[in-house]
Amino acid sequence: MRIAPNPKVDGLREKISTLEGTPRRLAHTVSVCGLIDEALPGRGLPLGCVHEVKGHPASAIAFAGLLSARIPPKGAIFFIEPARSFYPLGLLPFSIDLQHWVHVRARREQDLVWTVLEALRCPQVHAVLAALRAADLTFSRRLQLAAESSGSTGFLFGNMASAITRWRVSPVRNSGWSLELLYCRGGQPGAWQVTWRNGQIEPVAKPAQRELPAERALAG
Amino acid sequence: MPRRLLCLYLSDTSAQVKARLLPWCHRYSPLVADDGCGGIVLDITGCAHLFGGEEALLSDIQSRIRRAGHRVRGAIADTLGAAWALARYSRQVIASGSELPQALNPLPVEALRLPEEVTRALRRVGLSTIAAFQKVGRQALVTRFGSGILLRLDQAFGKAEETITPYRRHPPYSARRMLAEPVATTSAVEYILHDLLQEICARLEKEHLGARRLDLDCYRIDGTVAVCTISTSKPVRSVKHLIRLFSEKLDGIDAGFGIETFILSVQNIDRFDPSQLTLPQFDPHSLPDSTVLDELIDRIGVRLGFQHVARMRICESLLPEYSVEFRSVSAGEMPSALWPEYRIRPVYWVDPPVHIEVATIHPGGGPVQFRLRGDTHRVVKAEGPERLTPEWWRLQSLHWESRDYYRIEDDRGCRFWIYREVRLQRSLSRWFLRGHLP
Repeated sequence: MRIAPNPKVDGLREKISTLEGTPRRLAHTVSVCGLIDEALPGRGLPLGCVHEVKGHPASAIAFAGLLSARIPPKGAIFFIEPARSFYPLGLLPFSIDLQHWVHVRARREQDLVWTVLEALRCPQVHAVLAALRAADLTFSRRLQLAAESSGSTGFLFGNMASAITRWRVSPVRNSGWSLELLYCRGGQPGAWQVTWRNGQIEPVAKPAQRELPAERALAG
Repeated sequence: MPRRLLCLYLSDTSAQVKARLLPWCHRYSPLVADDGCGGIVLDITGCAHLFGGEEALLSDIQSRIRRAGHRVRGAIADTLGAAWALARYSRQVIASGSELPQALNPLPVEALRLPEEVTRALRRVGLSTIAAFQKVGRQALVTRFGSGILLRLDQAFGKAEETITPYRRHPPYSARRMLAEPVATTSAVEYILHDLLQEICARLEKEHLGARRLDLDCYRIDGTVAVCTISTSKPVRSVKHLIRLFSEKLDGIDAGFGIETFILSVQNIDRFDPSQLTLPQFDPHSLPDSTVLDELIDRIGVRLGFQHVARMRICESLLPEYSVEFRSVSAGEMPSALWPEYRIRPVYWVDPPVHIEVATIHPGGGPVQFRLRGDTHRVVKAEGPERLTPEWWRLQSLHWESRDYYRIEDDRGCRFWIYREVRLQRSLSRWFLRGHLP
């Protein structure tokens, strides 16, 4: 349901969004894929902010890796995790350039948190992927401010109390993903069935809900 | 300019005391050594004026050591032999070139650092002082007491060369500050450090060099030394950068009753041409800023250890354990190999591999179903096998014959990378989970 347009309310909305820095944030975006971009306010994933990516760890890493490869390079992409479980060769089909990547292993939680914050603050880091367990409201706000100040984009694989977008990536059959946009500031949440080919995300023609029962019947 | 050596005669010659005093003596001179005969020797050539002359230096060093609770006597002369002798046997403690024979001649023969049996033999024949000794012909001395006696005599009078071996080689790039009043606050230490770094970095810049490792030695007033070390992934000579790296560590320094002397030294040095690039992809426009990333990497490295900050490189090996090298950023860059695109690898790595129970249709066939942590996964799709055999030059892989890797998708859509390891004894073949595919 949409409220009838009211010029006064629209004016206030614009004012609030200017105060929140939304126009600046939406100035730089990367495209996810044609269909999904329509649900996002700037017709693409906003840069210079923090996104939460959850779901199956391998799929979440691949999704974040694919998107970070599309960000115009400024220097380095950081992958920060407590123990080494990232295997970069798996990301090669997503057209990443390994030369940009820096891997950091921070065993203690306070070191991990510090590293993520420092990396997000650096203007020569264009993306930070981090296996952060959770971030409370204050800390996720600090992360957001750090990303805004430098223009780098964070993809965090953990519970963020505050994030610009929130994704869940789960693997589905036939080499695909179920991509859910759980939350998006100023955008429309949604769910899509996608596959990837040559580093591109492509929506699957048939919606997920109808395909699954048919497949199950066949397999059974 | 003649060489000037200061010899300290300590009543307590235990190794423990020496180990404390040797580094402490660096506050007077960059060249400090154990004289090998129970004392400490400092090469103070060109250092004395910093302390207001030789007498002032001598009384300063003596009073400080005495205050620390040790009995000490020092002497300054042109040669080690003479300084050693004066410190132990003479009233006169400072002697230069022309005064040397006059100062040494009345001393007993023991002052020549000779073995005990030789001095005893000399005394028995009535040669009890150095003066008496010199009247005897050199040839006669050699035939009776060996050539060592002449060497010691010549060394004392400066006719024979004697080298001293510094207990620690002091690096050529170092700067020091001695304070009138000791400091104990971090902000004061930072201020001095800034001053020292500016001095060193200016020299490094002039000579196109960069520091890789720096030591800050803090000399406390109670005679102990605190050392603070930082290292960097690339040669650095930016004061701002180095101060930030140090600031992480400065809080860990215990100032005790106060620090009175600081010595900053470059322990590891590298060539650093002004036009160094960090990443090959950089376009020339972003060049002036390229150090921001290096600074970040160094800060992370200093805090977490450089072995945990790595760049990833593809190696020429198909075995998944060896195809990627996590190479520390401080180890320098190496070219990456090309990876054959059709060999699909997981994103999420399971290490060590998890043992799984797999059902196959026939022995040696592909997987149909497997159990992982109590859950049964039905295999819907399987691709493989991709058979890898051990590389004979690696010892670790000798106990297995081949590994068949499969990419599989279960009924819930999860994708796994598993393998069957065929051991040399066929009955021992087992299945493992190696990773998760996206």
